[in-house]
Amino acid sequence: MRRLLTLAGALVLACAPAVPAAATVGQAAPAFTLTDTAGQKHALADLKGKHVVLEWVNFDCPFVKKHYDSGNMQKLQKAYTGKGVVWLQVNSSAAGKQGAYPADRAAAMNKERGAASSAYLLDSDGAVGRAYGARTTPHMYVIDPAGKLVYAGGIDDKPSTDQADIAGARNFVSAALDEVLAGKPVSVATSTPYGCSVKY
Amino acid sequence: MRRTTWWAALLLAGCASLPSDVLAGPTGSSRYVKVRLLADASAVSGGKPFRAGVKLEMADGWHTYWRNPGDSGLPTKVAWTLPEGWTAGELSWPLPERIVAGPLASYGYHHEVLLFTTITPPAKVTAASVPLAAKVSWLECQEACLPGKAQLDVTLPVAATATPSADAAAFEAAAARVPRPADWKVTATREAGAVHVRFEPPAAARQASFLPGAPGIVAHAEEQALQASGEASVLRVPLDANGTVPERWQGVLVLDGGARAAEIDVPLQQGTGASTPAAAAAAPPPPPAAALPGTAAVTTLPVALGFAFLGGLILNLMPCVLPVLSLKVMSFVRHAGEDPRRAWRHGAAFTAGVLLSFWALAGVLLGLRAAGEQIGWGFQLQSPSFLVMLTGLFFLMGLNLFGVFEMGASLTAAGSLAAGRTGLASSFWGGALATVVATPCTAPFMGSALGFGLSQPTYVALLTFTALALGMASPYLVLSLFPRWLRFVPKSGAWMNSFKQLMGFLLMATVVALLWLFGQHAGTTGMTALLGGLLLMALGAWLYGQYGTELSSPRVRLGAATVAAALVAGGLVLGLARAQAATPDALPGAPSVQNGIVWETFSPEAVARMRADNRAVFVDFTAAWCLTCQVNERVVLSSDRVAERLRQANVATLKADWTHKDEVITRALAEHGRQGVPLYVLYLPGAAAPVLLPEVLTEDLVLAALSTL
Repeated sequence: MRRLLTLAGALVLACAPAVPAAATVGQAAPAFTLTDTAGQKHALADLKGKHVVLEWVNFDCPFVKKHYDSGNMQKLQKAYTGKGVVWLQVNSSAAGKQGAYPADRAAAMNKERGAASSAYLLDSDGAVGRAYGARTTPHMYVIDPAGKLVYAGGIDDKPSTDQADIAGARNFVSAALDEVLAGKPVSVATSTPYGCSVKY
Repeated sequence: MRRTTWWAALLLAGCASLPSDVLAGPTGSSRYVKVRLLADASAVSGGKPFRAGVKLEMADGWHTYWRNPGDSGLPTKVAWTLPEGWTAGELSWPLPERIVAGPLASYGYHHEVLLFTTITPPAKVTAASVPLAAKVSWLECQEACLPGKAQLDVTLPVAATATPSADAAAFEAAAARVPRPADWKVTATREAGAVHVRFEPPAAARQASFLPGAPGIVAHAEEQALQASGEASVLRVPLDANGTVPERWQGVLVLDGGARAAEIDVPLQQGTGASTPAAAAAAPPPPPAAALPGTAAVTTLPVALGFAFLGGLILNLMPCVLPVLSLKVMSFVRHAGEDPRRAWRHGAAFTAGVLLSFWALAGVLLGLRAAGEQIGWGFQLQSPSFLVMLTGLFFLMGLNLFGVFEMGASLTAAGSLAAGRTGLASSFWGGALATVVATPCTAPFMGSALGFGLSQPTYVALLTFTALALGMASPYLVLSLFPRWLRFVPKSGAWMNSFKQLMGFLLMATVVALLWLFGQHAGTTGMTALLGGLLLMALGAWLYGQYGTELSSPRVRLGAATVAAALVAGGLVLGLARAQAATPDALPGAPSVQNGIVWETFSPEAVARMRADNRAVFVDFTAAWCLTCQVNERVVLSSDRVAERLRQANVATLKADWTHKDEVITRALAEHGRQGVPLYVLYLPGAAAPVLLPEVLTEDLVLAALSTL
């Protein structure tokens, strides 16, 4: 009996502060409202019932260039927005830091690259980036229609800036999206993101 | 056969080399990094291993990465091309720096680094010379990052005996900086949200950090806390909430800022606290804290519920609830002598009000936390907008008690409580109000009960809140069940009106307290704006009182009600506008002085630093809106006796101000199993576990806790 109590005590102590430090897969995705490059507001709360992808972006980062210059990211955006997925690019570069541009310039750069996302969101104070624990560009998140975070991590399993690596890489984001769209659990729900640091 | 392929390879290498970049030479460069291929031998010999490596020289401010880059970046890669039969070992990495950028941390090198390996030639080498080629790729970063790569090679003569090269010393220096496998006893145990690395170095470490060998395991930017545990030290390494947990714990343990470092690779044991990934998001300190009366660690549900009930009961005596208590007493006075069955119904309605609002509070709290907010008990008082609404409500209720206006029957709900009407709704809302005003106070026993409840599955949290609510409502419920106990109360009469007005002053006192709190958020200007808002509301209330009564014609009544509503709304808006643009007079962060004791700003690092100096450390977790905290600080902590003792014993005093939302403090509270303030933590030198003092302090209690110093 006493041992049981001790064990229970230890458990309680250990579980005590279940306060997530950042967005955690399997839990509710942190709520946010951000303005896009066209000045329109987007709230995650309004996207209930839809699958949402968050992509942390910085066009001056060689890892982001890898996926945009090769057309890989645009292809994914096009394929999944076509299936009703809301794909949001998020730029958390602080003003004056690398990758930070005025809204019109950011929109033009996105257009030049033929991005097919639903919106390009500006998070220059980094609040949303920090809430999600976004560390790298790219850093990818998938949120299910119930608002639960189902994937967080890298875009694929080949951490490099080399476009040639894309062909042989296993894309975690498309795998996760295919699974949630089919109503299946996500088999690889987390991976280590790779890229440049987010310029908070 | 083997020899022919070898020759073929050499030939092939020779042919290809002529024009192309295969024999690119020993040096290369990118924009900010120069690389050079070098060996510690100027001539090599069959069967004699030697070292070869790549030296990277970074331009000022630029860095390249370690084998685990951390939160961002890429490790430098070296791919060797060697003649057949020649083998290269794994790359050796000198100890990197921890490079912190905002909320991110990575591991790498500034200035220069030599990454090297041991190359083993076959036992017998017939060629006169040997080509060593390496394909090197790296990521160079300052703020921005650029990828770099180079194809390097050198050709070394083969001789009967190996001779050291001019670079041999550089290799020795680099090798000295590569952490060696630990010869200390090391264990790693997985606990909730962290791995506890326990180690016994020959001499105790004052500071330690763990650099994980692979990315995606550890929350790199988070603080790693070191605690002494007998002969051993325990380093708590927080895990990445979305990371993977490996079978073996591999990486480098760095002591005292790099004075000592060791490679560790031990199996990861399961601790008692390891559980679901959700629970792994954050974690507690390793040893349970010593307990004083009222702070006993709550470990089981029945104890938690008992504590919660007791805490709720005592909450009635805390200054926050007093104004509402007085109203309640008044309504009991009214009900005294009524039909006992009716009195019982009022008690039940009051209890329901308390219960439902506690549940609502729990719901909001749990919901916000599920959404990732770092909050705890009393969180709503961290919101200036909420303070404005509450101030307005109390002010209007006070005016109502003074008789400035009476509420119409249609608005029974909130106002009738103050008017002392006998409706059941009034009892219900009385309960709700009591709950709302109770939050700035934390009664004894409550802290540990809530700390337990909020850390458990939702239903346990709700049960804890229920027990708290029942505890708070129980005196009224009991009184309403046994109305005879109220026999001593005088019969109602004209004195009731004076009593009511007197109670109005109590509510105004609460308004003053709330205004002061709002001032903490919004500064003098904001507070003045809210006072202006209150003036508008008073005007509205007066107009309504004069012309909104049944004595006026319906048209005048409607007009008065509309204008009054507009004025009240306008007053609220005036206050809320300032709440949005809240700018405190003084920015937090400056040390405060109370009775000669300097209270430094709390941070986990400050605690660690002062404990490392072998000082006793006293941390006051407080908030401006926490009345219990304010009373403790003013009456006990800054009393002459306590201040003198603190000074005498050279106790380091730290203040953690939770008035505004603060994740670091929320997390620190959680580490002590708490979800709210006040909390008093005393670290005694030499003791691993801190002592937690009760929520309500007395001078003797604090002096007793300090007596061992």
